[in-house]
Amino acid sequence: MTVLYLSETSSAHELVQRLADFPSLTDALDYAALGRTGMNFYDRRCQLTAVLEYRELKVRAQGAAKRLLTLGLSKGDRVALIADTKPSFVEFFFACQYAGLVAVPLPVPAGVGQHQSYVEKLRGLLASCSPSAVLGEEEWLPYAREALDATAVKFIGTDDELEALPLGQPTFVAAQPDDVAYLQYTSGSTRFPRGVMVTQRSVMANLRGISLDGIRLRPGDRCISWLPYYHDMGLVGFVLAPMATQISVDYLRTQDFAMRPKQWLNLLSRNRGTVSVAPPFGFDLCVRRCSPADVDSLDLSNWRVAGVGAEPISIATLDRFAEHFALAGFKADAFMPCYGLAENTLAVSFARADTGAQVDRIDRDILETEGRAVSATEKSTAVSAFVNCGRPLPGHELQIVDDSDNVLAERKVGRIVISGPSLMTGYFEDPESIQKLRATQRLDTGDLGYLFDGNLYVTGRKKDLIIIRGRNIWPQDIELIVESEPEIRPGDAIVFITDKDAEPSVVIQVQYRILDEEKRARLSHTLFAKIHSEFGISPTIDLVPPHSIPRTSSGKPARAEARKRFMSLRAAQRESFAAAGLA
Amino acid sequence: MFTQDVILENVLVCLRDMIPGAETVGPDSDMVDDLGLESVKMMDLLMKLEDDYDLSIPINILMDVRTPRQLAASLIGYLEKRNGPV
Repeated sequence: MTVLYLSETSSAHELVQRLADFPSLTDALDYAALGRTGMNFYDRRCQLTAVLEYRELKVRAQGAAKRLLTLGLSKGDRVALIADTKPSFVEFFFACQYAGLVAVPLPVPAGVGQHQSYVEKLRGLLASCSPSAVLGEEEWLPYAREALDATAVKFIGTDDELEALPLGQPTFVAAQPDDVAYLQYTSGSTRFPRGVMVTQRSVMANLRGISLDGIRLRPGDRCISWLPYYHDMGLVGFVLAPMATQISVDYLRTQDFAMRPKQWLNLLSRNRGTVSVAPPFGFDLCVRRCSPADVDSLDLSNWRVAGVGAEPISIATLDRFAEHFALAGFKADAFMPCYGLAENTLAVSFARADTGAQVDRIDRDILETEGRAVSATEKSTAVSAFVNCGRPLPGHELQIVDDSDNVLAERKVGRIVISGPSLMTGYFEDPESIQKLRATQRLDTGDLGYLFDGNLYVTGRKKDLIIIRGRNIWPQDIELIVESEPEIRPGDAIVFITDKDAEPSVVIQVQYRILDEEKRARLSHTLFAKIHSEFGISPTIDLVPPHSIPRTSSGKPARAEARKRFMSLRAAQRESFAAAGLA
Repeated sequence: MFTQDVILENVLVCLRDMIPGAETVGPDSDMVDDLGLESVKMMDLLMKLEDDYDLSIPINILMDVRTPRQLAASLIGYLEKRNGPV
């Protein structure tokens, strides 16, 4: 493709804006293709490298769809897409929609020296979704080949290689509401990847909710994103939502953002971006990496929706960002905290527009002892601040329940249970989850929170999940690595978090019978280095005697119990230090 | 103009700046396991190298990199492929 002159798509709407009120993704693209808006791709210097208008996207996606069908793929077959932030991914994704195939976005690696771990991850995902074709950029396909049991795959290649194949004359069949549009792998455990099945019905319901009632998109809006395409927030929020509302969107690659966070703000500034969303660590990174001179060069006054989600939100992070970038015209009112999860396509609730992040200050002692969220007074010895994540989208329901599934009153903390049209039909090839959802029509998110005035306050994320800088880490994956040491047997390790303040701390307890100090030190060092290298975290390694790891009646590691014992032992040690005058 | 040795020396200088007590950093130190270079710091290092050599480093050429020597070799290989022998 020769490009002599590139210019980004305009923010202006020629079409009457429709807010995702389409029966399927292809209907949405057919409409967007009537206008002149589209997607723009930028490099690490914020130079425009590619433009993909929606009308061109439609033509290219239909061509790729025909070639895939001519190859012999048929409705419902999975197509794995290595989801780099490139036009080819978007083309492939919509090719699957036109062809009735199930798109499966797969991650790209995020760091140095990850050959083995990336192939391992791909192997798990490819085995789980058993794709009929694998498509991606040339640089990643060798890893997919390495990870693939190549038996059932009809095609593996790039967009150019696909384009060289015969078009044929297949016919498209209109998608039905219950057809699975794509699988969204939750950033779940490598050992047990779970592919959320998102139907046309659920994705369109969620897009409608996001654009009409959540962000409230309007003509002339411009979206900016560095979120990865294989993440629900990147895919639904910034590939599908702009397309389904005919809005122009500008992309930076995630890797470029990680290296140069300021380029996100540069792009917002230069292109007068109005809508952009990030996890809290994204805002934090900008504060740490932008000097006052950088702030001076920015104009963030057009940024009207700064969405925040995907991990627990600390108000201090948002306050710091607002203060740091106030001189660039950033308005704290633009903050829009939200709550969501891939199992509900993306979004569950949004805070109200233009009010910023509202905080509820709670007496922490009462919260921890009684599970009630009571406003802090001057008598409170400890205070927890929770951010208002708003009301559930219209047509969607949210309840807080206790351990016996009783619905709790406002200000009582319990598990967040959701239902409504955006809910998944289950995890791919997991009949148990499918049957359960069909029977109950609701999903236990595993997250904890309370309601106040109908607004959701999230107090804790999934019990076991460890979230560090936007990465979800499952304790099982850490245990697996620990147990791969020759000296350690399966079941000898347990991993849990002690999150006191902002940064969660990961503790790994390992049953180890050898008492030799040198050997113990060496093992601790080896384990630390391995875990640090694999997950980028600095764990506390605690070697414990045999038979000291608590287990549930079914033999699973009892993390909460292990954590409780660890904490009380710590506290006791601190007290004895204090008594001895050492603290 | 750039040789692998020059790049390697630069990588070592950067690493010694970034990591406290890093006199022990050598061409064959494992950057993650031995030096504990976390992902944010690794990104800083790559950014510095991109700026120094005015290039965009694709992550896929770094998939098998563990040491400063391997990093320098990957970069020189990439530059040669892009520009012809340097």
